[in-house]
Amino acid sequence: MPVHNLDPTKWVDKYSDYLFNYTIVRVNDREIANDLISETFLAGLKSKKNFKGEASERTWLISILKRKIIDYYRRINSKKGKAEVHINYSDDYSDGEWLEEQVADASDRNAEDEMENTELGMAILECLDQLNEKQAAIFKMKTIDGADTEVICNEFNITPSNLWVIIHRSRVALAECMQKNWF
Amino acid sequence: MMFRNFSFLIDCSRAENCCDKAQYKELSKANKIRLLLHIAMCRRCKKYTTRNTRLTKLIKKSNLKSCSKVDKQVWKERIREEMAKKES
Repeated sequence: MPVHNLDPTKWVDKYSDYLFNYTIVRVNDREIANDLISETFLAGLKSKKNFKGEASERTWLISILKRKIIDYYRRINSKKGKAEVHINYSDDYSDGEWLEEQVADASDRNAEDEMENTELGMAILECLDQLNEKQAAIFKMKTIDGADTEVICNEFNITPSNLWVIIHRSRVALAECMQKNWF
Repeated sequence: MMFRNFSFLIDCSRAENCCDKAQYKELSKANKIRLLLHIAMCRRCKKYTTRNTRLTKLIKKSNLKSCSKVDKQVWKERIREEMAKKES
């Protein structure tokens, strides 16, 4: 018996930010990321009947998105027509330096940091999933988008006091959720 | 007197509220003093402040981005259209 059900009408509100952050670090282009997410939603709708309910909705959408990202790279590589090989050394004397440079690659640490930060971002969004939709939306608007208190209050028709109560509850829940792995 | 209406002492609930506002740089100077005085005396709120500040740093470090409202609206429309197509 399926444990999880699909509700495409809620996909955008619930998962678009998660899918976006997952994609942007992999393709590094906002427009391409948006296209891939759009394709993912449509592919999800098409293959809805294949969903067995064993994985969560989000995991299922991510598995579709992964394939879309792979397809995207295949597409651009086939457009180029050939694999690109970069050789920076023109003479035989620099052979030894090549190896040293590879070992001491200064960009390695940055790449590692970036991966860790991406992982962290995904963990935060997963924890935000545990909040109710309105709470999560308000928290994201205030904390990630940096929206003004007044703007959020107008949009959600709440008072500033309500907003701060929601922010407080969200922060407590989020810190609790992240306590184990990140604090 | 200058501090006639200025009460330095706040309770834990108000201290937490001040701490939350401080994470978004929306805390007045007077309330900053109140919060600092409170956490100097209250271990529980000091712990809350440490954890809350750490959370802010983690969120900043994660460099999270959100999709634009326009993009979200477009996706919602497309999903709605596709679902309507399937039903008809």
